[in-house]
Amino acid sequence: MNQSDRPKDTSISSGTETFIRMFRATVVIVVLAMIGYFVYNNATNPEASRPFKLGLDLAGGSHLVYEADVSSVTPAEVPALMAVLKDVIERRINVFGVSEPIIQVEESSFAAAEKQHRLVVELPGVTDVEAAVAEIGRTPLLEFKLIDAEAEAAQASVASLQANISAGTGISSGTSSGTSSGAAVVGNIKVNGEAVADLNPYIETGLTGRYLESAALEFAGSQSGQLSNEPIVSIRFTAEGADLFEKITRDNVGERLAIFLDGVIISAPRINEAISGGTAVVSGGFNLDEAKELSQNLNFGALPVPIMLVSTQTIGASLGADVLEKGVLAGVIGLLTVIGFMVLWYRLSGIIAGFALIMYVVLMLALFQLIPVTLTAAGLAGFILSLGMAVDANVLVFERMKEEMRAGKSSRAAAREGFRRAWSAIRDGNATSILSAIILFWFGTSIVKGFALVFGIGVVMSMFSAIVLTRTLLIAMPDRSLSDSKLMRFLYGSGFTRS
Amino acid sequence: MFSVIYKKFFLIVSALIFAVSFLIIGVFGLSYSIDFTGGALLEVRYETAPGKTVVEGAAATQNLGSVSVRETSLGDRGNGYLIRTRDLSEDERIALEDALLAIGEGASIERYTTVGPTIGAELSSKALWAIALVSLVIILYVAYAFAGIGKPVSAWIYGLITIVVLIHDVIVPTAMMSLLGYFTGAEVDVLFVMAVLAVLGYSVNDTIVVFDRVRENLQANRTEKRTKIVEPGGIEREEVEYTLTKPFPEIIGPAVTETLGRSINTSLTTLLALTALYFLGGSLTQNFALVLMAGVVAGTYSSICMAVPLLVAYESWQAKKMKVEVVTPK
Repeated sequence: MNQSDRPKDTSISSGTETFIRMFRATVVIVVLAMIGYFVYNNATNPEASRPFKLGLDLAGGSHLVYEADVSSVTPAEVPALMAVLKDVIERRINVFGVSEPIIQVEESSFAAAEKQHRLVVELPGVTDVEAAVAEIGRTPLLEFKLIDAEAEAAQASVASLQANISAGTGISSGTSSGTSSGAAVVGNIKVNGEAVADLNPYIETGLTGRYLESAALEFAGSQSGQLSNEPIVSIRFTAEGADLFEKITRDNVGERLAIFLDGVIISAPRINEAISGGTAVVSGGFNLDEAKELSQNLNFGALPVPIMLVSTQTIGASLGADVLEKGVLAGVIGLLTVIGFMVLWYRLSGIIAGFALIMYVVLMLALFQLIPVTLTAAGLAGFILSLGMAVDANVLVFERMKEEMRAGKSSRAAAREGFRRAWSAIRDGNATSILSAIILFWFGTSIVKGFALVFGIGVVMSMFSAIVLTRTLLIAMPDRSLSDSKLMRFLYGSGFTRS
Repeated sequence: MFSVIYKKFFLIVSALIFAVSFLIIGVFGLSYSIDFTGGALLEVRYETAPGKTVVEGAAATQNLGSVSVRETSLGDRGNGYLIRTRDLSEDERIALEDALLAIGEGASIERYTTVGPTIGAELSSKALWAIALVSLVIILYVAYAFAGIGKPVSAWIYGLITIVVLIHDVIVPTAMMSLLGYFTGAEVDVLFVMAVLAVLGYSVNDTIVVFDRVRENLQANRTEKRTKIVEPGGIEREEVEYTLTKPFPEIIGPAVTETLGRSINTSLTTLLALTALYFLGGSLTQNFALVLMAGVVAGTYSSICMAVPLLVAYESWQAKKMKVEVVTPK
């Protein structure tokens, strides 16, 4: 071996340098081994604190998207109401007994024609979507509406009129109890029959279940000492709701206030006086069980705004398990073939790159557990794709290094120079990828977000694994030149050539 | 380097690839999945599967309008069918499921998806926005990163060429998708959009690596001439003029040669990973893998055989134009 053309590693200072290089390489390997153990432990131990989080398409379950109808509230109130809606549905689902449900409020992007507010509900393990939908949908919507006495009377007379017509009896008997205004409306209907459908005796008051603080089962008469003990539901409003309720009752003494549950009128008591203090009573001929259920449902969540199911997705658990198993197999085989190729083509450098690729996988898996990233079929596919792309930075460096070594540099100097000169290409190539991932994450729905996250951290980690890990290991290798021996020419060569 | 010497040949081939891809997409079209159109998709699995016509018949009894039935293989877990209908209500879904479960042995519903029409429409516009925005960011970044590249070709041209190359790299996998759709009934879904975006990322990386080498070689093969100019008002300004020591194509040629090994090897490792995904990853991501493979091959081809010839062709066109401009005033 001809070593005269460079300083030998015998002096004290270069001995220290060698030690530092070896120390760094050892630290890298030990730390990565520890992370690897952490990942393995988390993945296999059933009681692990940070297991892999599997998306619905891998674990099986239901994905429901509800659209909230916020047309009756001012835009400024929407975020708070959506938060309340989320809490309510969350409580509802917890009663249902689903482990780790995910409930998210989502807004349609600015790309949509109309801004929409959605509630995304993910129920892992629940494939009986019918029952889940029923459970969520059963939550009552409570509304208070004033009754327009004239319109109601008109509607009643129209109804009796129609009943009479169909029964074949005359008009006179049907309108005998009607008021004069009622008759006028009936007269109007004769001219324009379509007006019947437009008659709405109920006036929105803005008072709904969103102002509800609590509801309790009580018995009518228990306070006033009467004998009747009909089950009723007493309602306590929030401070804001109490003010509204007081205002409504003060302004409409003598009118009737109808209480609607899920769009159905359940009672319409007359307002005798302004009610302050923020309590109201719902009575509608309930039996004990009905009253109990109503008070519970109201407590568990009267929905602040109506919701509508717009999308559902159900994946059977066996299908998910199958996808996961195949994805993992594809990942392992993909990893091995990429490493195999790198070792065959780049030899010694390839072995180091293979090592760095395994470290990349370990780091990625650790991040998946720590962030945590919800793994989906798409995310898994993206990860497998990234295995092939992650070696790119290594390949760039090795090709540079080869050029430098051919120009006569020793392996360590060539490695340093290779990293230095490959950096601008690595930086510019990956910067655009990172920017793309950020855009995707910002834009995407949950599925796209998962992919963008995997893609983005994949790019960052692959840069890290090449620039820090591969570099540390490559520089810790003994410093040799191509001219040293045929073996060196072989080890630092590539492809089909012998040298 | 071959792609510089035979630049005309490669530009014609690239134009042909564009034309053929557009033709394929135009003739066969793309069929969009319910992700975009809205509707319902139901996968049913049978241990002993009935024939396709039986399934179609059972679905037809539900009066759901046009229903498409597609066979899917679930490997050792039996055979399945994908039934696509319009957006279903809960009652309609239950009725359809009951009808399908009744016609085969060991039947189970594997997955069910319904997408409301507004969500579908929103996703389509979202996808287009995302692709447009990513492209914009790429052209801006390339123009910025290569801002110092100077003569003879401006950084914006590098950005523009990157975009032309990107369009090529997206059109090719889209044509692939179109063929897949025609022959196997595959549909354009969210996964396809993700594949396209991944191809964008891959392709721009490839092109940037080549341009990076072009930049380095340009800097190594030029002479600087600095002249100090004193502007009126006493502000001193230094103007640097670069002169290339070799003709442009002779500087670009080696850049391709030097990056060729890297381009091919990176695409090979990526293709290896994708091959594993295609053969082992299950049916759900098979089309994703195939589309990406087309994109990777297209990306590698275009960075070598399109980006560089375009750059050289632009330079010679520009040089000719400059000459004409100098000549005409006389």
